[in-house]
Amino acid sequence: MQAMDKELMQALVRRAGLDKALAEFPDDVAAAAEQAAKVMARIKAPADPRAEPWPAMRPGDGL
Amino acid sequence: MNVGIEAGQGLHYLTVTALAHAIAHRQLSPVELMKAHLARIEKLDPRLNAFIRLDAEAALETAKAAEAEAIAGHLRGPLHGVPVGIKDIIDVAGLPTTCHSKILEGNLATSDAVCVSKLRQAGAIVVGKLSTHEFAIGGPSFDLPWPPARNPWNPDHHPGGSSSGSGSGVAAGLFPMALGTDTGGSVRNPASCCGIVGLKPTYGLVSRRGVFPLSFTLDHIGPMTRNVEDNALMLEVIAGHDPLDPGSAAASGGRYCAALDRGAKGLRVGFVRHFHEVDMPAEPEVTAALEHVMRALQAQGADVRDIRLPSLGEFAAVNRVILQSEAWAIHGEWLRTRPGDYGKLARRRLMPGAFLAAGDYVLANKRRLEMIAAVNAALAEVDVLLCASSMDPACRMDRPAEVERTYPRQARTPFNVTGHPALAMMSGLSSGGLPLSVQFVGRYFDEAMLFRVARAWEQVSGMDKKHPPIG
Repeated sequence: MQAMDKELMQALVRRAGLDKALAEFPDDVAAAAEQAAKVMARIKAPADPRAEPWPAMRPGDGL
Repeated sequence: MNVGIEAGQGLHYLTVTALAHAIAHRQLSPVELMKAHLARIEKLDPRLNAFIRLDAEAALETAKAAEAEAIAGHLRGPLHGVPVGIKDIIDVAGLPTTCHSKILEGNLATSDAVCVSKLRQAGAIVVGKLSTHEFAIGGPSFDLPWPPARNPWNPDHHPGGSSSGSGSGVAAGLFPMALGTDTGGSVRNPASCCGIVGLKPTYGLVSRRGVFPLSFTLDHIGPMTRNVEDNALMLEVIAGHDPLDPGSAAASGGRYCAALDRGAKGLRVGFVRHFHEVDMPAEPEVTAALEHVMRALQAQGADVRDIRLPSLGEFAAVNRVILQSEAWAIHGEWLRTRPGDYGKLARRRLMPGAFLAAGDYVLANKRRLEMIAAVNAALAEVDVLLCASSMDPACRMDRPAEVERTYPRQARTPFNVTGHPALAMMSGLSSGGLPLSVQFVGRYFDEAMLFRVARAWEQVSGMDKKHPPIG
């Protein structure tokens, strides 16, 4: 994933309701957006699209 | 009561097991023990900042009651009269749970977290609430209502986090045991930086009820102590099913102290070298210490072989996406309305969740399942994994760039992603006099195996006898 462009970031900020944070801490919001973009780029998608996600919690005698 | 040690001298580095034994046999007064610790806290904590809130008066009153009970022959449990420190994201009735944040200043807890309640039932005495990275993620920070904890081996250096006060205080002898929490390594990091023993148990083994969440499916509560036996004892007390915690495992806690001294002979140990040799090349001293641990276990008769797992970078990415997505669901409203009440680091580390999509979270969980399978496959071949914990000794706290560089250089997040139990402890000392670390990882609910191999290393190395040159 490419670094997030400014327009996309601002659209996501509005959607998330982070306008106040953007006004007061623009560098922190930009850093958070960049971090989100970068971290997804490091995950390999499972080759099989049918692969299950781990049920968030599956407590029992085992996991 | 007299433990044979002159008033208070040396009490601060006695083990939990020794202290509990001395109290049970009326050789040590819980009141004298508490006074000795309070005196040490008064002397050293102004330099270490391990405490957010010391509860000295209540601790002393409880110690008096514990003494009366001991004299009457009534012992509450295996920790009767022993002081414990509690990370300040864990509820203690009557005290604020601040999470080291302005957001929750004055947030009074009305009941104990389950883990605290179990410690009290076993006779432990809560001495106070301990420093943490803000909400267990933002630190070390100097823009919060309380200062960050410091490393007793060198107070200019980071004690690790997020359970910073727990690590600093246990290592410095301010209390012999503490509770920490671990979502991306936050028990094992301070254990590594401060040269103590920190365990992240199997996911679900210790109830999370009454602990402020960071990430529901990655959060673990774990014991922090100065030796392996104490850690096992503490886990025996706090482990067990909680029907009111939706993440609690059905498995009951175990008898972790029973097999401690079986040694490493015949154990199959998988050495995950690529973590520290390829994925995140460690400082040479860290690598040398890991090799030393490996050879020491071999010399005791362990069969050591190399094991490969997915890369550290990808484990870390999966951990971050899950953590930040779940954390956003907790912090979103406060970040919208009160962003200035967070410190800068917490704000930066919690907001990425706003920029992740639902599909990102599901993809990370799909990959998580594959990673779990990979670790389970490795643990089908061997009894325990040996790998790095931190890739560097603790850095100076006054160098933000160095903190930022070294903070992610670790091999702890994989086992938050997979839920396997993992224990970090000291592997040696750096040339600069700071602790180096090693990590052991086991099968689900096989904490007993971790304690066994950790004890084998401890006994041959004497790491539990090394204490910081402070006070």
